[in-house]
Amino acid sequence: MKKNIFLATIILGLLFAFSTVFLVDETEQVVILQFGKPIRTITEPGLNFKLPAPFQTASVFDNRLLEYDVPPEEILSQDKKSLIVDNYVRFRIVNPLLFLQTVQSVPIAVTRLDDIVYSKLRQELGTHEMAEIITENRDVIMEKVTRESNEATGPYGIEVVDVRIKRVDLPQENEKSIYARMEAERMRQANKFRSEGEEEAQKIRATTDRDKVVVLADAYKIAQEIRGEGEAKALQIYADAFSKDPDFYEFVRTLETYKKVIDKNTTLVLPSNSKLFKILTE
Amino acid sequence: MAYRRIIVGDSEIKVPEKLLTLGLIPIVLIVFFGWLSTGIYKVGPDEVGVVRTFGEFTRVDQPGLNYHFPYPIESVDTPKVTEVKRIEIGFRSLGNGQYRAINQESLMLTGDENIVDAEMIVQYKIKSPEAYLFDIVKPRLTVREAAEASLRTVVGRHNIDESLTSGKLKIQEETKALLQEILDKYGAGIQVVAVQLQDVSPPEQVLGAFKDVASAKEDKNRMINQAEGYRNDLIPKARGEAEARIRNAEGFKQARTKRAEGDVAKFKSMLKEYRKAKNITKKRLYLETMEEILPGVEKVIVPDGDNGNVLNLLNLNPTKGKK
Repeated sequence: MKKNIFLATIILGLLFAFSTVFLVDETEQVVILQFGKPIRTITEPGLNFKLPAPFQTASVFDNRLLEYDVPPEEILSQDKKSLIVDNYVRFRIVNPLLFLQTVQSVPIAVTRLDDIVYSKLRQELGTHEMAEIITENRDVIMEKVTRESNEATGPYGIEVVDVRIKRVDLPQENEKSIYARMEAERMRQANKFRSEGEEEAQKIRATTDRDKVVVLADAYKIAQEIRGEGEAKALQIYADAFSKDPDFYEFVRTLETYKKVIDKNTTLVLPSNSKLFKILTE
Repeated sequence: MAYRRIIVGDSEIKVPEKLLTLGLIPIVLIVFFGWLSTGIYKVGPDEVGVVRTFGEFTRVDQPGLNYHFPYPIESVDTPKVTEVKRIEIGFRSLGNGQYRAINQESLMLTGDENIVDAEMIVQYKIKSPEAYLFDIVKPRLTVREAAEASLRTVVGRHNIDESLTSGKLKIQEETKALLQEILDKYGAGIQVVAVQLQDVSPPEQVLGAFKDVASAKEDKNRMINQAEGYRNDLIPKARGEAEARIRNAEGFKQARTKRAEGDVAKFKSMLKEYRKAKNITKKRLYLETMEEILPGVEKVIVPDGDNGNVLNLLNLNPTKGKK
């Protein structure tokens, strides 16, 4: 019987010892509460000790970077254009004690976070024009919203690591007008290309026509010069030869002219005292 | 040998009586060693073993057979560190080469407030297993959301024509850089291996207009080509014609000169004869010519005419004219 009591004591002792031991994982951080009053915060992983419940209890919080996807919201830009903004938040519990005292759990924290981020985002986007939000200033805007949200969530023991706009879209009716504008822009480009094509083609054809005329005119000029040279040379040759006896030339040339001029339709009038008549009648 | 029957759940184990008489020690030992043996584990060739001792990260085991102290002392995770994971943005593969577009993800605003349809693939792998396991939640979702945000941010910096054509590579690189920057900021322990823009196209609603621009470009080229064809046809022909005219003229020149030379040669030889006997030759030439022309000609003889100059033959009576 004594042995049994001894055994029981040992077992109870071991159970008690085990119940004082607890693990803190790499992904966790723990607040130790003594009768509900926080006495210790453990952020380093490893083996730890506490009094067993109900004397001391451990509240465990996630140590990792947590995510919260904010549902898309319609927000007005400074130039009163409505944008559908879809963003997400990455945050971390940096002060588990504060977190425990103010929001207790992640779901509650997320609703607070939502309020804060939404209002900061709305406020910030309201000071920018749509073009800025879409283009280069997006980084700057997000950084500012992150910083301001972070300041506001400090009292909850939450660090906002990043507020990031995933999508900025336009409401459907605005999209339609964008499509219309895009279409008009493309039509303008298409027309430009076609007109340019016509312009180029016209230029080429006109240049071609001009070049053709010029080439032919050049050829005409050269041809005429060559012909002129030919005529001149011929004249020179004739003149050189005929000047040796102009009378005889005239005589020979006259005879040749007779041959050409007189044909069957010619009526020859011969004076009776003409040389030819004499010759004929002799 | 005596046995004692022990019922464990549905099965019945026969334990030798002798074993029981040895007390609890063997059982405790068996249980103890059995417990110890649960610490044997395998790390695949594409994995590492990340060991936590009492919840605290202590070491990384390499591929092969490994051992860790059993639960609750040590625990192990074996993430696939060499595996390249893939995320599709703007579409989802359905296997067998088919895919489904997701417009909500793929349609985005460009810097000049146009809309493009962009699809992207992100490939990533684990850079730091500890960070990947212990510092973030939902790694895949984290990469997806950050990738979407990066792509939209980068496309927002470029105008539509850049996004559709020359700027694609740049967008890809900038997106990759931004995505890596964001993931590093989160301490996610993730390495972005590649960001590939699959397809950047105009939205369906305006695709026709964009295609028309392409065909207008074609039209332009066609018109220019046709005009060039006209030119290539006409100019050589004109040059040929010009050459022909010049050759023609050269021919004329040669002919004219030769004929002149011929005529002159003939004249010279006649002159030579003529000088030998001027009057006789002259008369002979005259008569020869007359013989040649007079036979077919109507002749009118006018008695007592002029002073008988040979050249008077040319004075035909203008009032009579032709018959």
